[in-house]
Amino acid sequence: MEHLFVDFFQNTGFYLCDYRNIVMILVGMTFIYLGIAKHYEPLLLVPIGFGMLMGNIPVFQGLGLGIYEDNSVLHYLYFGVTQGIYPPLIFLGIGAMTDFSTLLARPVLMLLGAAAQAGIFITFLGALALGFAPNEAASIGIIGGADGPTAIFLTAKLAPTLIGPIAVAAYSYMALVPVIQPPIMKLLTTRKERLIRMEEPREVSKREKMLFPIVAFLLCCFLAPAALPLLGMLCFGNLLKEAVVTERLAVAARNAIIDSVTILLGVTVGASTQGNVFLTSQSVGIFVLGALSFCVATACGLLFAKFMNLFLKSKINPLLGAAGVSAVPDSARVVQIVGQKEDPTNFLLMHAMAPNISGVIGSAVAAGVLWSFMS
Amino acid sequence: MEANVYGLNAINAHNGWAISVVGVTIVFTGLVMLSMAIAQIHKLLDLWEHRNELSLFRKKEPVMTQPQVQLTPGQKESARQFKLLAETLNEHFSLPRLLSLARVSGIDHPHTTLAILLETNIIVDDTQGYHIWDISQFKTLVS
Repeated sequence: MEHLFVDFFQNTGFYLCDYRNIVMILVGMTFIYLGIAKHYEPLLLVPIGFGMLMGNIPVFQGLGLGIYEDNSVLHYLYFGVTQGIYPPLIFLGIGAMTDFSTLLARPVLMLLGAAAQAGIFITFLGALALGFAPNEAASIGIIGGADGPTAIFLTAKLAPTLIGPIAVAAYSYMALVPVIQPPIMKLLTTRKERLIRMEEPREVSKREKMLFPIVAFLLCCFLAPAALPLLGMLCFGNLLKEAVVTERLAVAARNAIIDSVTILLGVTVGASTQGNVFLTSQSVGIFVLGALSFCVATACGLLFAKFMNLFLKSKINPLLGAAGVSAVPDSARVVQIVGQKEDPTNFLLMHAMAPNISGVIGSAVAAGVLWSFMS
Repeated sequence: MEANVYGLNAINAHNGWAISVVGVTIVFTGLVMLSMAIAQIHKLLDLWEHRNELSLFRKKEPVMTQPQVQLTPGQKESARQFKLLAETLNEHFSLPRLLSLARVSGIDHPHTTLAILLETNIIVDDTQGYHIWDISQFKTLVS
């Protein structure tokens, strides 16, 4: 009888627990706190945070409980992450809920989304310099795209062992956009520049909005075919939305599908951060480079907006450049907040959505390009 | 993580510069192309919606050429006599008045001649209930 108690005790989490599990459980609880109390990306941070709790319950190996055990339920759910299934489904939902009007009204703002992607490639160089292998460096660089699904998709293809730290880094920095971006925005712009008012965008017809996803898909995927899974689903989702006659499918994509996939993605990514796998020097490097990537991407967008102003008759507010990193719609909101601190009657949100959305397209193209280079 | 190579050596060893430059160029080119393409969408749609107003797409309507009227010498002579009578009236004259003058003057077939002058637009309706004499048309067909 005593033997049974000892056996049972040795199989409990209390006995098997490691300090790394405790650290990760605390990180998970912090995520949940930030999501619920501070409203930082709650739809992502709460599932990831709880996933961290699930993944860091120490379990007896061989029972088929851990996410890295072949026959476990979590492992099957994690299949959607490792095989890159969830990110395109999330893009389908994003497409079905995104209005591209502002982008169509002023296409020149798309260049800001392109400029911000330079952060991906600069971080790629940084990661190579720190000794990461090229496929790992590419996966780390994509964090600068500020697009969680894209980062997960590319990492699943190039460096599956890094999915945990990269996904957590990407989503953490996305959640921290309101903290990371404003100091860079203020540092790189003058007050006069922040006061610039944007012209009213022209009205965009329904036909134009319907044609956009088709044109964008064909053009981008002919140029970078590896972006097909992400951009294909993004544009398809948007076509469902704009076609009107497929409203039922669009509603499913932007509600049921994206919500289900976000739950599965968040929980499994969180659960993949088991202390013994996650808490390594490599993860620290990824977090440092991820932060650098985010900052560089923001700076590239801002500086390119200033550069464009040298040639444009109707000047653009350079703060819009910061929205070139994807993080839809958080970085656009940050632009609005920073702009309104200087002039409360200046509304930049609508204009910032254009580079913000083009950032999503740009990061998907960049992921496709890196994937094709590394494969 | 690879253990041995760091810094610029690692970047050079993995062809990092070239990958970055080409990568940035492709992303930028893609989005520039896309922005140029979408900037044209509304113009193309506008063109398509107004295609009927474009000469390129407009159906060519057959040109209605008026058959050249050839007046006989007798008709020409009657027309000259009608002109003399019309000159005695105001610039805007009434047809019954002209016709009665023609009858009084003894011009042959006054109704037929008047009909010919109207068909050939030598006499033109002024839309006010009167008619006027078109000198240029008269000169073309008669003189």
